[in-house]
Amino acid sequence: MINPSGLTAVAGIGYRQYKRGTAPLPERGVLVSAIVDACNDAGFDPALIDGFVSYGDDKNEPVRLMPDLGMKHLNWSAQVWGGGGGGVAGAFGLASAAILTGQARAVVVFRALVEGNSGRLSTAVMAHHLNDHMVSAGMVAPAQLCAMRAQRLFEHHGVPTSVCEELVRASYHHGSRNPEAVAFGHEYDAAEARTSRWIAEPFRLFDCSRENDGAGALLLVSSELARDLRKPPVTLLSVAQGAERGWGDLLENDREDLYPTAGFGAIRQRLYDQAGLTPADIDVVQLYENFSAQGVASLIDHGFCTYENVTEVVRFENLIADGGRLPVNTSGGNFAHGFVHGIGCAIEAIRVLRGETANPVAGAKTCLLAGGPGSPTVSSAIFGIG
Amino acid sequence: MAAFSYATATGPLGAEGPYWDALLDGHLKLPRCRGCGAWHWPAVWRCGECGSWDHEWVERALTGTVFSHTRTHHAFAGTEAFDRPFTTVLVSLTEVPIRLIGVLEGSEEGLRIGAEVEGRIDRTRFGTHDIPALRWRLVA
Repeated sequence: MINPSGLTAVAGIGYRQYKRGTAPLPERGVLVSAIVDACNDAGFDPALIDGFVSYGDDKNEPVRLMPDLGMKHLNWSAQVWGGGGGGVAGAFGLASAAILTGQARAVVVFRALVEGNSGRLSTAVMAHHLNDHMVSAGMVAPAQLCAMRAQRLFEHHGVPTSVCEELVRASYHHGSRNPEAVAFGHEYDAAEARTSRWIAEPFRLFDCSRENDGAGALLLVSSELARDLRKPPVTLLSVAQGAERGWGDLLENDREDLYPTAGFGAIRQRLYDQAGLTPADIDVVQLYENFSAQGVASLIDHGFCTYENVTEVVRFENLIADGGRLPVNTSGGNFAHGFVHGIGCAIEAIRVLRGETANPVAGAKTCLLAGGPGSPTVSSAIFGIG
Repeated sequence: MAAFSYATATGPLGAEGPYWDALLDGHLKLPRCRGCGAWHWPAVWRCGECGSWDHEWVERALTGTVFSHTRTHHAFAGTEAFDRPFTTVLVSLTEVPIRLIGVLEGSEEGLRIGAEVEGRIDRTRFGTHDIPALRWRLVA
């Protein structure tokens, strides 16, 4: 077996984001735009793309992208299972596997979502979990399922709700400084957040991610090829996806200790071992947060803190790019940058390592991309530069 | 496999057909492997512990403790059957290592993780369906 660490790299990125309902093109048109942006970023001819990977039930079958891109051959198309954002990082593993086994040469990882075409994301995600058991109990939305897990995290495991506010506040701090973000120019108002309407207790409106129209595309190639392209390669140091026994859409019968987690305990060791790194080696985190508590649970799962010391780590001052030891969501994340099913987190992982972010992290060499928390199948990746 | 008649409101049925039929009949029945005695929930066709395909559906009492809970305020489509806000509880059954979910009725005083509850079988209107449903009440 080969260790894939460092052998493939992101050479180009493209990202288009719009307020929900305002995309200038239908979904596939927005996606093609993002892919061409990624190729221009890399200095790579779109016609030479030969593979695609997505996740979260993306509706854009790769073969339909060929005419607009001028592709002659499609050699690889794959998608990580699951309706949520659990597969966003694992998608890079599929792309890397194709490249390292010679089955494809230039693979685009993408996610596109224009809700006039694909409908509301939350509805699509929930379709995976809806069943008569849940519906009979009034449980029809991801927010409710995550709320119930959050309640146990707070009430039984003693994690204070205040850490969620710290995470949201740090996200808005970054988003307010990012011209691309939905929260650009808007400072976080704690009083407004604390009195915002309840969604499903313990979640208020500000604990929930937004939904946007848009598309993101990241061009993955061998690290060797990436060195000949326009931008500094950001190498894929590690990627892992999966689940463990006692986890995974079990009618809320997950193993008792796993229930309040985000599910990443199953992949944490593989993730760090592949790169030969530990949590202490991670310079910056792009954290997929569907809801605030699941973001915190993900940080705990990934080994950045524990139930006991979470308040020491998940602090506003510690989470911001300007001075924090664990900068998180430097674009504003799903809360304050925008939400195209988490592909923006992957885009920001590359931007922050290249120094192209609105909230630079001085000297950052490693960035952990944590995929959708609480998904039946979860995944994470670590990227590096230089 | 036991025969069943229940038709779902929301998509394909798993291995839990007899569960729904028992609820329609006014009883809670849950599956236990005849090979090794393991309880399985969600229901399975094959026991992953011992490989048996044979399960018996055993009647159990609707008593337990709150494992977690949430109070829904937002008007999510599909929750029209309930006056908002309404509280959903996840209940650890007393007799078997299984959690079941349902809406809480009656007083919410004393609602907390670990609180004792007892349940009854009702129906939840969903579109044109009446789904058999569990309702829970805090034990004073």
